Amino acid sequence: MRLVISLFASGLLILSADRAVAQSATGIVEIDGSVADRCLFTTPSETISVGELALGGTGTQAGRLDVAKLNGQTRTLAGWCNGTAATISVEAMPLINRSFQGAPPTGFETRINYNADALANRVTASDTSTTAGAGTTIPVGLFTGDVVVTVSGSSTATGGLLVAGVYTSKIIVTLTPNVSFGGGSK
Amino acid sequence: MQIRCLLALPLLAFAGAAIAQTSDTATGDVTVGGNVARLCVLGQPSPPTIDVGQMAETSGTRVGRIRTIGAQVVILPASFCNFAGSAVSVTATALVVNDNLAVQPGFARAVNYSASASNWAGSPTDVTTAATASGATPSATSTGASQPLPKIADVRLDLINFSAPGDALLVAGSYSGLVTVTLGPDASSGDVQ
Repeated sequence: MRLVISLFASGLLILSADRAVAQSATGIVEIDGSVADRCLFTTPSETISVGELALGGTGTQAGRLDVAKLNGQTRTLAGWCNGTAATISVEAMPLINRSFQGAPPTGFETRINYNADALANRVTASDTSTTAGAGTTIPVGLFTGDVVVTVSGSSTATGGLLVAGVYTSKIIVTLTPNVSFGGGSK
Repeated sequence: MQIRCLLALPLLAFAGAAIAQTSDTATGDVTVGGNVARLCVLGQPSPPTIDVGQMAETSGTRVGRIRTIGAQVVILPASFCNFAGSAVSVTATALVVNDNLAVQPGFARAVNYSASASNWAGSPTDVTTAATASGATPSATSTGASQPLPKIADVRLDLINFSAPGDALLVAGSYSGLVTVTLGPDASSGDVQ
């Protein structure tokens, strides 16, 4: 008798365990997305307008480049990059006389060279307009904020007289996102 | 099935990155501009003054009349105009005695000369004074040819052919004249520098 009861109780326990396995169920919804590496200028353009570029007066330097007009000029762009592998480069293009056609006569200049720096995220990209193309590309990482562009070292090839006219140029700053694969901030 | 999905995800990631690299590069620019005004500068004349000394013969058949006065040369070094279309103008004033006395017949109180400014345009700027014996109408002006390019050069001024009106006897006294050289835009260029 005692044995029969014991078997019955054991059967109840087995039945109970089977019910527990059958009731537990897990459903999973996986969510994923991505953010592409990207850079953007939120203030993409500024202008440096310096007026008269030549020294005045009648002395020996009259009519030649007044380097103080360009050197130290600075403008602030703003932008961001969202990836650690982002890079920055700057290209300084020479100031060219747009009013005078042809090669300048001996003793005169129609081209003004200078250096341009672009400071962002505590790194500085540089270029000189004496050579074509952008300067060295350097890592800038992820950042948001100012991109400070500064002009220095203005000069002419021979220190000659500047031909009268309008001179224009452009400094181009390029932020390239590249492929970051995540990672820490710079 | 799970393995196949895991392989596919990195491929998608690379594809996304490639798009970002090409399409999300950002450029900003700073335009730099200035101008250079038209400018002409004449170098300091060397010599700044000309003293021809005694102008009358003191002996011989021409005693009292103008002697032969040699050419006088003045250099204006490193003169320049920084634009195309400039010209040299010369205003010459005869040497006139510095008093207001009336001149007597047979005498002259003026000495004329020719001035020529060269080494700027294709041809020199020439002018000759034509003062009368009394010293009237002492000044003459001429503007030379256009220089079609910006130029820097030593402008040369020659003073030649000194003569008295009618080859008259020269009145005693101190004579003075003036030559003004102007470098500026030519007639077609409008404003004067």
